[in-house]
Amino acid sequence: MSKKILMIVMLSAVLFAETSAPELYVENEKVEENVYEKNCIFCHRYLPSSLERMFMTYLKAYSGEYTFKASLKAFLKEPREETSMMSDLFIDRFSVKDKSKLSDAELKEAIDIYWDLYNVRNKLH
Amino acid sequence: MLVSKSKGTNLLRSSEKRTLTRFLSLYIILVTMLLLLLGIFYYKSQEELMFSNQRTILSGYANQQVKALKLLHHYFPERTEYPRNADFRSAIYDIEGVKIFSTLEDPVVNFEKVIYREGKSIHFVKRLDDYYLGAKFLFVEVDENKEWYDKTMADIVTLGGLTLVVLAIFGLFFVKLFLRPMRNSMMLLDDFIKDTTHELNTPISAILANIEMMDTDIMSEKNKKKLARINIAAKTVSHLYQDLTYLTLNHNRQSKDEWIDLKKLIEDRVEYFTILAGSKKVTFDLDLKYSTIYIDGIKIARVVDNLISNAIKYNKRSGNIFITLRKNHFVIQDNGIGIESEKVSEIFERYARFNTSEGGFGIGLNIVKSIIEEYHLKIDVKSVLGEGTTIRVDFTKGTIDE
Repeated sequence: MSKKILMIVMLSAVLFAETSAPELYVENEKVEENVYEKNCIFCHRYLPSSLERMFMTYLKAYSGEYTFKASLKAFLKEPREETSMMSDLFIDRFSVKDKSKLSDAELKEAIDIYWDLYNVRNKLH
Repeated sequence: MLVSKSKGTNLLRSSEKRTLTRFLSLYIILVTMLLLLLGIFYYKSQEELMFSNQRTILSGYANQQVKALKLLHHYFPERTEYPRNADFRSAIYDIEGVKIFSTLEDPVVNFEKVIYREGKSIHFVKRLDDYYLGAKFLFVEVDENKEWYDKTMADIVTLGGLTLVVLAIFGLFFVKLFLRPMRNSMMLLDDFIKDTTHELNTPISAILANIEMMDTDIMSEKNKKKLARINIAAKTVSHLYQDLTYLTLNHNRQSKDEWIDLKKLIEDRVEYFTILAGSKKVTFDLDLKYSTIYIDGIKIARVVDNLISNAIKYNKRSGNIFITLRKNHFVIQDNGIGIESEKVSEIFERYARFNTSEGGFGIGLNIVKSIIEEYHLKIDVKSVLGEGTTIRVDFTKGTIDE
């Protein structure tokens, strides 16, 4: 019986974790999360390919900032297998993502943050 | 023939030289432009040759760099050091032309070309199919070997200069060949004038001297009129004789400059031409102030004579001639037939005549111009067809007894 109770508790914890984003605390103060952290990192953390690798895949395909951002935005709004940058194996296993529920402004903000975070320009030396 | 052909040839030189200079200038400009064009083509072909030699090497460098970029892309961000090579420098730009990273020494890049010269370097542009690190354009830069440039420029300057000189000599030869018929006919005309001139001297002097000596008191009015006509005709021929003598002989004569009283000179010449002017009922209106000029007496007399003579010749019947003399200029104005304003610049050309109804060789104003130029005077002609001509001569230098 105690085993069953423990399983229920753990399952509840996992389910709770998947349906709402975790809140960040630094030295007991709550830090406000941005739209990228709330929506992108949260979902992608369970995927085997990191957001950084995905960024490099997109960068290799689209090159420029505006092209990159526009293509990513279009994909997030209307994800399709044909337009996905991920491998067939990846798509077979995880399928194509659902349509983003974020507004245009939120998507733009999230993608801008994503670009600024992994952009290679300022990291090369 | 009293005057040698060489003197005649000299007299033709100015117009011939002018034609020669104009033709040669035009010819040399055209030849230079043609040579420049050929030089540009040669330069471009040499540049293309150099580029094609460099392209193979630079393409190898570019492929080498692409491999390094691919590797870096794969390991990014664990590795962030941009791949460098001692043989070349490089830069990567994204599809929007934004620089990602560059080690170029000449940073100005051209996205349109494949290979080009920039500053002291040569740039080779490779467009990537896979945009490693976001790079669409890879620029590979090497130092330019200037040997080809120095050799090409030396070839252009040497060969171009040599060709220009040869073509200029050919041009000179051809223009002289083409001018020969004109030169011959001008010489023929000049020789004829010279020969005629020397035959005129004695009879004209005899006629004028005898007219002066004739006792007109005992003559009937009818004969007096006839004598006046003979006097006019003789003076016209005498005037022509003096012009021709000046042209044929006075160019070789040493000038005897002295202070000339212009007021007295003009009054004398007006008196001389009074009978001639009277034949057309042309009257003189003089407004003369005392003025002197340091000049050869014969030459200034030729200037005044020719200007007055023209003012009479091209005046209408019962016309007027206004002569004004001031400290440093004089003006001779007539209200005669005038000429078109666009032809004013041509009136000083030798043998130029604008009215065939009047006699003359068209040499008077040419003499005036040569004297004006010799003494650095200034002549200004204003003419309106049908209204008359105004000629002003300025002599700002040598006007006072210094």
